[in-house]
Amino acid sequence: MKLLIVSRFDRSARAISTIVNYVRAGRALGHHVALFADPLADLPDVPTSRDPKSFDHVMFVVYETPDFPDLPYLAHLLDGVPRERRIVVDCTGRYNDTITVEHDFNHLEKMDNHMGWEWIDGFDSVAKTVLQPTLTPRRPPARGFLFHAFDPSAVQHPYDNAEQAARAWEGRSSERSRYGLAYVGNNWQRWSQMRGLLEGLSPIKDRLGPIALVGWAWDHRPDWAAELGIDGIDTDTALLQELGVELRGNIPFSEVIPFVSQARFAPVIHRPLFNHLGIVTNRTFETFCSDAIPLLMLPPDTIESIYGPAARPLAVGDDVAAHVEAIQRCPEVYWDAVLKTRAHLSSVHSYQRRMQELSALLDA
Amino acid sequence: MRILFVMDQRVDRGSIQSMSNYVRAGRETGHDIALYGCADPRFPTIRFSRDVGAFDYVVFLVESWRHWMSALRMPRIFAEVPRDRRAIVDADGMYNPIVSAAGYDRNYQWEQHRAEWFAHYRTVTDRIFQPTFRPRQAGVRSLLFYGYDPAQQIHPGSSPAKAYDMLCVGHNWWRWRQISRELLPAIERVRSRIGAVAFIGSWWDSIPAGAAELGVESAFGTDPAWLRRLRIEVRPAVSYTEVVPVMSTGHINIMTQRPLFRELKILTSKFFEVFSADTIPLVMIDPDHAELVYGPAGRELALEGDAIAEKLLDALCRPHRYRDVVDAVRTHLVAHHTYRNRVQELVAALQQSPTLEAETAFA
Repeated sequence: MKLLIVSRFDRSARAISTIVNYVRAGRALGHHVALFADPLADLPDVPTSRDPKSFDHVMFVVYETPDFPDLPYLAHLLDGVPRERRIVVDCTGRYNDTITVEHDFNHLEKMDNHMGWEWIDGFDSVAKTVLQPTLTPRRPPARGFLFHAFDPSAVQHPYDNAEQAARAWEGRSSERSRYGLAYVGNNWQRWSQMRGLLEGLSPIKDRLGPIALVGWAWDHRPDWAAELGIDGIDTDTALLQELGVELRGNIPFSEVIPFVSQARFAPVIHRPLFNHLGIVTNRTFETFCSDAIPLLMLPPDTIESIYGPAARPLAVGDDVAAHVEAIQRCPEVYWDAVLKTRAHLSSVHSYQRRMQELSALLDA
Repeated sequence: MRILFVMDQRVDRGSIQSMSNYVRAGRETGHDIALYGCADPRFPTIRFSRDVGAFDYVVFLVESWRHWMSALRMPRIFAEVPRDRRAIVDADGMYNPIVSAAGYDRNYQWEQHRAEWFAHYRTVTDRIFQPTFRPRQAGVRSLLFYGYDPAQQIHPGSSPAKAYDMLCVGHNWWRWRQISRELLPAIERVRSRIGAVAFIGSWWDSIPAGAAELGVESAFGTDPAWLRRLRIEVRPAVSYTEVVPVMSTGHINIMTQRPLFRELKILTSKFFEVFSADTIPLVMIDPDHAELVYGPAGRELALEGDAIAEKLLDALCRPHRYRDVVDAVRTHLVAHHTYRNRVQELVAALQQSPTLEAETAFA
């Protein structure tokens, strides 16, 4: 299969890590996967092309409208590959009726100037096939395709067994374990959950260790959000200061796993809309590559269906402090869950599996 | 003819008033005109349609932004309407070389951006129209586009009470230099002899979030302290349906134009809708241009140079004389610039041969 991926290849946001993994997994399986772009100097092993006609399929990976290229590139793509061979991966549930969950939404005209129906019309015009990274797509003919996946070769520290992992985790020097907890991701529709997490950890902050939040807008509420009345992006600098939270801006996708591996715990948070739609993200899988114990702040059915039953102990219940302290007392139990979940992800959710699923979908 | 407009419609800015007029004037002249989209209570006077294929022509009304011509909209239009049935009204003169007005306002900052716009336009269409008497760029046709609606005129008997001596209804988008160098000093000189003054529109007292990020911070220069000192009330923008009634609450209305538009002699909705209001319009454009658009009487309504303060007082002190001038302009507008005329001109322009050669196979 020759697959051309079209998106905005921001190095520190959205699906860049997943996309680069498609290139590599595709190569291993004998497919040719390239990015619709001019050559990328910082990613010399990633093929690029501006010639859509030489590909079997064009896959648009869409979060926002700028993920589509501008004219005349868009016209060249539409010219070069018929609609039947064009795919949209709808990463944020746009191809649904308008949904509002807490402060989150899948359509908001004042944000992007498009009404809900335009997302449906637009995707239908661009591609015959719309795929959503969920096991439970709601609006036909959208089909479920998780898109994101787990890369076993990216695991920072593979361990033979839980005892070894727990010993290493407990015995880490402060240099190797700079943080008690680290989260890498942008502050978009995450604050309500992050606030709950931080407040929950507050009583044990001294025993937990330093906390780091890495990404965009953890340190301020952007003026435009206030001007537009967007509540899904917020922060509380007083709370962050009180807890001594270290804030850092975006880091490139290639540094995420090493950075998170400097922490003992790493929360997995999905925005409210994604929890509602069962949408997964790159971080759903990537967090399990780090050398931190994931704190799964996801709906139980998502944990069960994506990670398998072995991940149940990693689910954060109502009392996050008690959960963290339980892990600190008996890390081996939880590392056992991590290693078994990694095995499940390797077996069921690897990039090779995704490529095979995609190939089967397109052949069908 | 069936014409579907596509634009970035905003309830309180841009060319939305003209859309309303095209829909109505089209109905009166036997043409079916609609705006792309779904019925929307914010736009009660506009007929919407999503049935792209049912129209003979699709006309994109493009101002200073084009991100709304997104992949959610364009592929469907491309698929259903071939290139030779698509046209662009280039309302802000973007299809020009880089034009810098007074080293301040410009259509592009970088040549690369200009090239991208040109490529974009040429992919969309082979017909580009500009609302100016004399387009500069080869391949562009003049289409004045904006017009006057005599039925919209508010007569003194039905006019709202006058709450202001002077109003300026519009947004502070590249206006500040002209306002701060010409209008405010004039107001300052005679402020004690003028009653209530208001600027109604966006960004007169604050710079919008994200302006610096977009590189357009200089478009929003302002001095709220000065405005306060001059007792100039700042009020938010109003819906297009309220613009003419709100203008009618002022004895005089000041029409300003961004420097780039003055340079390119581009017309806007405001040129005409201010004459629908029950007010005395004073226009901050070159007298020659005022005469070209409004007829000989228009020259008397032009505000410029050192005489602005005196003209403001004169209009307030001798309203009957100025009302005669305004009526003379309205007579000229009815003869030359009604939306009925504009619809016929648009239909004729669409029937003419293309102005640009195709540069893409896409159709």
